[in-house]
Amino acid sequence: MAAGGIRRLGSRGSTRLPRALRIGLLLAPALLVVLVLFGGGLAQAVAQSFGYQPFLPQRPLSFDAYRDLWADPAVRASIGLTLRIAVLSTTAAAVLGVGAALLVRSLGRCQPAFAALLQVTLPLPHIVAALAIGLLLAQSGELSRVAASAGLVDGPGHFPALTQDGFGWGIIASYVWKEAPFVAVLVLAVLTKGVADLEDAARALGAGWWQRLRHIVIPALAPALGAASVLVFAFTFGSYEVPFLLGRPFPATLPVVAYQEFRDPDLESRPLAMAIAVFTVLLVGVCALAYLTLSDRLRGAGSAAGRAKVVR
Amino acid sequence: MRRTPARLIATSFVAALALAGCAAPSAEDASPELDPTDWSSVLDAARGQTLDWYMYDGDEAINAVVEDYLTPRLSDEFGITLNIVGLTDTADAVNKVLAERQAGLSGSGTVDAIWINGANFATGQQADLWYCGYPEALPNAEYVDFEDPAIASDFGVPVDGCEAAWQQANSALVYDSAVLSPADVESLDALTDWAEANPGRFAYPAPPDFTGSMVVRTFLYDLLGDPSELAGEYDEAALADVAGQLWERLNALEPALWRGGQTYPTSQAAVEQLYATGEISAYYTYGPGTVANMVTDGVFPVTTREAVPSVGNIGNVSFLAIPEDSADKAAALVLANLLQDPETQLRFFADGGIYPAIDVERTPDDVQQQFADVPLDDSVLPLADLTANVQPELNSGYVSAIDDGWTTNVLQQ
Repeated sequence: MAAGGIRRLGSRGSTRLPRALRIGLLLAPALLVVLVLFGGGLAQAVAQSFGYQPFLPQRPLSFDAYRDLWADPAVRASIGLTLRIAVLSTTAAAVLGVGAALLVRSLGRCQPAFAALLQVTLPLPHIVAALAIGLLLAQSGELSRVAASAGLVDGPGHFPALTQDGFGWGIIASYVWKEAPFVAVLVLAVLTKGVADLEDAARALGAGWWQRLRHIVIPALAPALGAASVLVFAFTFGSYEVPFLLGRPFPATLPVVAYQEFRDPDLESRPLAMAIAVFTVLLVGVCALAYLTLSDRLRGAGSAAGRAKVVR
Repeated sequence: MRRTPARLIATSFVAALALAGCAAPSAEDASPELDPTDWSSVLDAARGQTLDWYMYDGDEAINAVVEDYLTPRLSDEFGITLNIVGLTDTADAVNKVLAERQAGLSGSGTVDAIWINGANFATGQQADLWYCGYPEALPNAEYVDFEDPAIASDFGVPVDGCEAAWQQANSALVYDSAVLSPADVESLDALTDWAEANPGRFAYPAPPDFTGSMVVRTFLYDLLGDPSELAGEYDEAALADVAGQLWERLNALEPALWRGGQTYPTSQAAVEQLYATGEISAYYTYGPGTVANMVTDGVFPVTTREAVPSVGNIGNVSFLAIPEDSADKAAALVLANLLQDPETQLRFFADGGIYPAIDVERTPDDVQQQFADVPLDDSVLPLADLTANVQPELNSGYVSAIDDGWTTNVLQQ
């Protein structure tokens, strides 16, 4: 029925509804949600970062909050920490995720069961992962208790600080635990029968293990891995609850600093909170764009490009 | 005419827009003006309303009284459905009211009542968010001493009839008597000496956490000797005189703190967790009455005790504020009144260790006797000891300035 409708529309309806308008209308419900909910929130944040606060006495809009942002030691200390956590979490999740996917693929008959196992952590909220990591890694956590009963440490204070630590180990561990399976699931989906056939062909022509990985598997999974990495990076950069639960009050990641300012009882600090949020969005956007451009160029320029297209 | 999918989607899209337009609230729909002095009209208006109460929900004992006592009384006696919205930080509720004001939800706001005091109340006053003029009109107001400075002003901000008192909180030091002797908690100097001899076993959460902020002010009071030097409106110069010494003292304490003071717990819940797991042996609390339940439940060691060091303890009153934009103000008024009911106050004291905000001496003799008869756990200080040397809170301007100063001069050093 529906297919018939679309065909009819395509053949004779085009004279009445221009194609662009038709596509626009069909996309409108989805676009509206994105524009109103996301765009609206972003516009509000930008407006408030310039000092727009209708519930306070009127005053001129200004860039003051962005100037304060550079002067704020909490923000300056935060940028490096946030980037470190996002980059390390993304890299570790990508490496472990690809490793897990390749391992599961090589399992043969048990493959579906292990592929399902990878999806177990996907529906768990990050806050649960963070609490679990806290119970495991805290100085009075499970690992510490096991170490103490094995006689490795004398007490909680002697166990290395892995949560509320300066480096962010606990936060990274929590992200990797959640995101590596996510990467694995996406990568596994593109490693289809076609890839395996190409590998067999290459093997028959005398290609070694490394050559098959380098020239067939990696080009095949690169687009999915790139997309997954951008998603993981953007999420770990902008997420609040994990660094709040497992991190320090100072230095804290950008979203935590933004929320600290947002909760300041003085409404005068609201523009600074919004400026930090906008700054975070810009940083994520720039990093994601740079990464996508770079990976596009690598794929376009590399000799692997042609083979990757064949695979697809 | 046959409908194509595109046209179908377009039509439903337009219809959805139209519906959204209809659903948008308008200020004219708001209920007629409430008159709290005509209590029976308030009760009539409240019947059938659903009351969204935004409250800190980290205290199991308080939650239990709310669930087992307040909820059934509100629904059985007044026909009000109580809906608790849990918070870890009251600023979140104030932010919600602000956001709804911005969105134009006047008269249809979803926040009906907030457990509040201090800076968050001041924020609402700054933006003119609160419904005012009812506390003295509540029937149970006869038990409240409005002359009491702790009730008349909230962290130095005049209450002006914009919130109703319902509980009193006096801080205390909680310690494990198996680790610390009573002499170690006699004064802050003694506590500091003990902490330096036993590094890592004392902690306080990073301000602006409510409790962490109080610990910093307790050290400030100890330096001042007499906090009345900082009474009244916020005076930057007066604070500057003593702030340098305060940061010096707190920085000097850092090596003796949990994690060597390199970082601080992010919340009071985290501090209590550290005490429960035995990582630390002493901490400050605003809820000394609730410690008994933790001991009885086996979360805290039975050797847990409380003390008020020689500097005294900071005390304040918690209030219920009603946003002007609330859709269910009448039900919120009923809650404000019910909270001041002597029976409710007794229930909170007996079950939750929450101290009364009403003047117990104004209640009937039998109620006074019941208050006196409430058995106390060994871990908890008797009311008389807890209230012997209570110090007032500073103006919320000072509180914010001290929190910010601590962040810059202690945390970020």
